[in-house]
Amino acid sequence: SSQLQRARDNFTSVQVDHKAAEVVQFILIKDQKKIPIRRTDIAKHIVKEYRAVYQDIMVRVGLIFERVFGMELVEIDTKSHTYILINKLEPTTEEPLSLNPKIGLLFVVLSVIFMKGGVIKEAVLKNTLKKLRVDFEERHDEFGDVKKLITEEFLRQKYLEYTRVPHTDPPEFEFRWGIRAEKEVSKLKIIELVGQLHNQDPQIWTQQYREATSQSSQSSQRS
Amino acid sequence: MAQPMGDSHRRFLQAIMSLGIVDESQANALHRSCCEQHGVNYDQRSLDDFIGAINVQLQPVFIQIRTGNSEEDGFQYRALVNMAETDVTRLSSDYAENELELFRKTMDLIVESESGSASSMDILNSADTLLTRKLKKKEAELVLQKFVQDKWLNEKHGSYSLSTRCIIEMDQYLRNTYQDLKVCHVCNNIALQSQICDNPMCGIRIHIPCVARFFKGNSDPHCPECKDFWPHEIPEIQRPPSSQ
Amino acid sequence: GKEKANQLQAEGSLFDPAAYAEHLLSFMGFNRLEDEDDNDEELTGFLPSDSWQRLAKRASGCFRTAPSFHYMLGSFLSEPPQPKQRVE
Ligand SMILES: [Zn+2]
Ligand SMILES: [Zn+2]
Repeated sequence: SSQLQRARDNFTSVQVDHKAAEVVQFILIKDQKKIPIRRTDIAKHIVKEYRAVYQDIMVRVGLIFERVFGMELVEIDTKSHTYILINKLEPTTEEPLSLNPKIGLLFVVLSVIFMKGGVIKEAVLKNTLKKLRVDFEERHDEFGDVKKLITEEFLRQKYLEYTRVPHTDPPEFEFRWGIRAEKEVSKLKIIELVGQLHNQDPQIWTQQYREATSQSSQSSQRS
Repeated sequence: MAQPMGDSHRRFLQAIMSLGIVDESQANALHRSCCEQHGVNYDQRSLDDFIGAINVQLQPVFIQIRTGNSEEDGFQYRALVNMAETDVTRLSSDYAENELELFRKTMDLIVESESGSASSMDILNSADTLLTRKLKKKEAELVLQKFVQDKWLNEKHGSYSLSTRCIIEMDQYLRNTYQDLKVCHVCNNIALQSQICDNPMCGIRIHIPCVARFFKGNSDPHCPECKDFWPHEIPEIQRPPSSQ
Repeated sequence: GKEKANQLQAEGSLFDPAAYAEHLLSFMGFNRLEDEDDNDEELTGFLPSDSWQRLAKRASGCFRTAPSFHYMLGSFLSEPPQPKQRVE
């Protein structure tokens, strides 16, 4: 449009690059806690008077993440314009460099949800974790406040969704995969690992296996 | 001339992001494994060029993989550092405001000490004087633990010193902030944990690993500045941890 | 009981979280203690201290998480250390 053209004429390419670099810094900082980044915050803190060329800036930001950091800036909500960063590089087959034990817990939660068909009652999760010596109501040596970690932190990071089952009294709650998990976690690798743990061919879970392969073919199309 | 970045560079950068700092043998091992994973010819001599190619691309976002030396073992390290101090960089969420204030008080104590270290008691006492929000003793202890875990401070027998990562990233900040900050007479880098010439008119500092190299095999060491006798123990030169 | 569960799984898509938890426990190095009171519900024993690390190490291959950037310089406003201010 001519309006966009006029806006573009107001800023030099160097100025737009400079803004893009600032947005990259901002996103890296906001990603420290893995909480999705909102367009309104980017606009308020960084873009400011460059609002008219926001799209141009974000295209360059995406390129910097891809070409320099090997990451992809994914828009997870096109209405509210919310972004997350995910890794474009395949996980290494080598020893991971630094490890957060929370990944283990998150793996258990996500794998149970996925293997149970995409949704589980809170009680199922509680019972499973209890067998692994993790109690929702008790402080855990490594995870601290387990309930807070699962129903607040993993939620804010969009690894999980936690909703009340309609018409339940007393209220019951259920868990699903959050949008970050959908983008960041490989269902095929999960089902393969679950199969190894059971010492079984993962294809025996036919439904789940079909879903896992369709996710992986979609993501390979995307990149 | 800088080579363009490939996936091997990106993987190396990501590794340094998650580790914060690596020693030279780790850097070499990482360089090799990143090249091998992405089918790139590995040349051990080209680590500096390899890092240089990354740094060219990082420059616009004020981040850098920077080389520096440890005060404790004298060896070379590589750390990923931030170079900008702006309203944006102050949005970092790793520490609360009062935790950062405690960090600055700890730096003050360490830099102003002769030993380049501060006792946990002195630091915890200063936690009582925070202007932002006071920290209870237990809270302050946890914060100190977090600083050590995140590799900003080192701790030995209840005394704290600035880590190599911290000194590499904060080099210019420390030089600007502390007017009477001393540098090492041998290597010219900031000298916190070091030996000091006893002559009150001189008082030069030399890092302990620099002392070892400078006075190696010298049975009658004298200060390189004032020529007074050097009254400290001359340590042995440490051998670098072997690669692999 | 266990054989039957395996059979059911082999037939279809049934997934038993309780059986899964047992597999996870043995992967995580669970030390089973002799159980006197014949209680099938809860195994007695303990997990070694590195058990979650062990699982995390194995599971990290399923995640494409971007590493994050941490720094100290620039996280606070730099000003020279103040001579002790008196607060009234
Ligand atoms: Zn020196
Ligand atoms: Zn002297």
